[in-house]
Amino acid sequence: MTHKATEVTIVAEKVIQEQIVEIIERAGATGYTILEGSGKGQHARRTHERPSVAGDAFDIVKIEAILGDRAAAEQVADEVANTLFTHYSGIVYLEEVEILRRARFWR
Amino acid sequence: MEALADFALTFVGQLQKPTLAFLLGGMLIAALGSKLVIPDAVYRFIVFMLLMRIGLAGGMEIRNAEPGDIFLPALIAVAVGCLIVILGRAVLPRLPGVKVEDGIATAGLFGAVSASTLAAAMVVLDEEGVVYEAWVPALYPFMDIPALVLAIVFAGIHQQRQSGAHKRVRIWPIVADSLRGSALSALLLGLLLGLFTRPESVFDSFYDPLFKGLLSVLMLIMGIEAYARLAELRRVAHWFALYAFVAPLVHGLLAFGLGTLAHYATGLSPGGVILLAVIASSNSDISGPPTLRAAIPAANPSAYIGSSTSIGTPMAIAVGIPLYLSLGHWVFGL
Repeated sequence: MTHKATEVTIVAEKVIQEQIVEIIERAGATGYTILEGSGKGQHARRTHERPSVAGDAFDIVKIEAILGDRAAAEQVADEVANTLFTHYSGIVYLEEVEILRRARFWR
Repeated sequence: MEALADFALTFVGQLQKPTLAFLLGGMLIAALGSKLVIPDAVYRFIVFMLLMRIGLAGGMEIRNAEPGDIFLPALIAVAVGCLIVILGRAVLPRLPGVKVEDGIATAGLFGAVSASTLAAAMVVLDEEGVVYEAWVPALYPFMDIPALVLAIVFAGIHQQRQSGAHKRVRIWPIVADSLRGSALSALLLGLLLGLFTRPESVFDSFYDPLFKGLLSVLMLIMGIEAYARLAELRRVAHWFALYAFVAPLVHGLLAFGLGTLAHYATGLSPGGVILLAVIASSNSDISGPPTLRAAIPAANPSAYIGSSTSIGTPMAIAVGIPLYLSLGHWVFGL
C-alpha cells in the first residue's frame, strides 16, 4: 500500500550544505540523503573526482528529502531559493512520489 | 646585474630539482591532455602529512627556543598578512572590470598561505643546505588567519555601505572555522604533539623521510590543477591574471625586507627570512577558498580561485622561491 508524499531535491554548492540541511530539518523532515556529484551548470563545470586544490569551494551536492506534507516541502524549496540562491549556485525542484511505510516520513 | 645573473642561475638550477620539475611536468601533461588524475583522498592525505611534519618539527624545536625570538617574526607575519589585504583592497577594485567583492576576496586569498608552497620552499632550502628555525614554517597561521579575517571584514563593510543595513561581521566564527579546518588542525596538533610529547621516533622514521617524496607528488598535482583551472580565469577580467603574476613577488619582497630587520634585531636566520618571504608570497589552497566562498558569497570564486591556482601558486613556487633564495645569497652571503 503506497501513500502520496513530496520529494524536494536541491542541487547546490557544498559550502551551503549545512544551511540547507538545517532548513530541511526545521520543516519537519525525518531524514535526507546527500550525494556528491559532478556536472555542469550556468556558472561552472564541477567535478568531485579531481584533487580539491580549492578545498570544496567548487564541489556540488544533491540533497534529497521526502516530506509527507506538500506544504512543508514547498516551504523548504522557497526558503532555500530565497535565502541561499541569491548568491550561491543551485537548483531546487519538487516531485510527487509514492512511499511505503508512511510512518517513516512523519514526525 | 650580478644579482639578476644569480637569480637566473638559481632559477635554471631549480628547474632541474624535483620540486620545480614535477610542478612543470604536471602542467605539461595537463596541457597535452593527459588523463592522469591523482585521487582527491591522496591529495588530502599528502597535505595532512606535510602539515603534520611541519607541526611536529616546529613543536619539537619550540621546546628549546627563546619565546622572544619567535615574537618578532610572528608579529611580522600578522603585519604582512594584513598589509597584503589592505594593499589588494586598495588596488584591485580600482582596476577596470573588477568588482569590489571579487577584488577583496582575491586579496584575502593572496594574503592567506599555501601549505604546498611552504613545503616546497622547505625542501628547496634543505637541498641547498640553507638552515632555518623549524618553528618558522609553523608561523603560517599568524599570516593566514588575519588575512582571511581582514578580507571578510572588508567585504562586510563594503556590503553595509551598499545596502545601508547595519550588520556586524562576527570575527570569532571565522577564526574558529579556520582553526578547525583540516589544514590548521593538522598543523596545530603536530605542534602540540611536538611540544608536549616525544614523537621523535615516528618523526624520524615516518613523517620526515616521506616529506620530500610526497611533496613531489603534490607538486605534480599542483601543476595539473594549475593548467586545468586556467579556463576559469579566462572568464574573468584580465587584471586578475596580472595581479596574480605580480602580487606574489611584491608580497614576498615585502616580507623579505621585514624579515631582514628581524634578522638584525633578534637574529632570525637567513633561511628563516626566506621562508617568511615564501609564506607571504604564497596564496591559499584547500582551506582558504571554501572559507571565502562561505563568508563572501557575492564574490565570484572563478576570479579568486582561478587567479590563485592557475597563476599565483605557480609564480610563488617557480619564480618566488628561486628569487628569495638568490636574494638570500646576495643579502646574507649564503
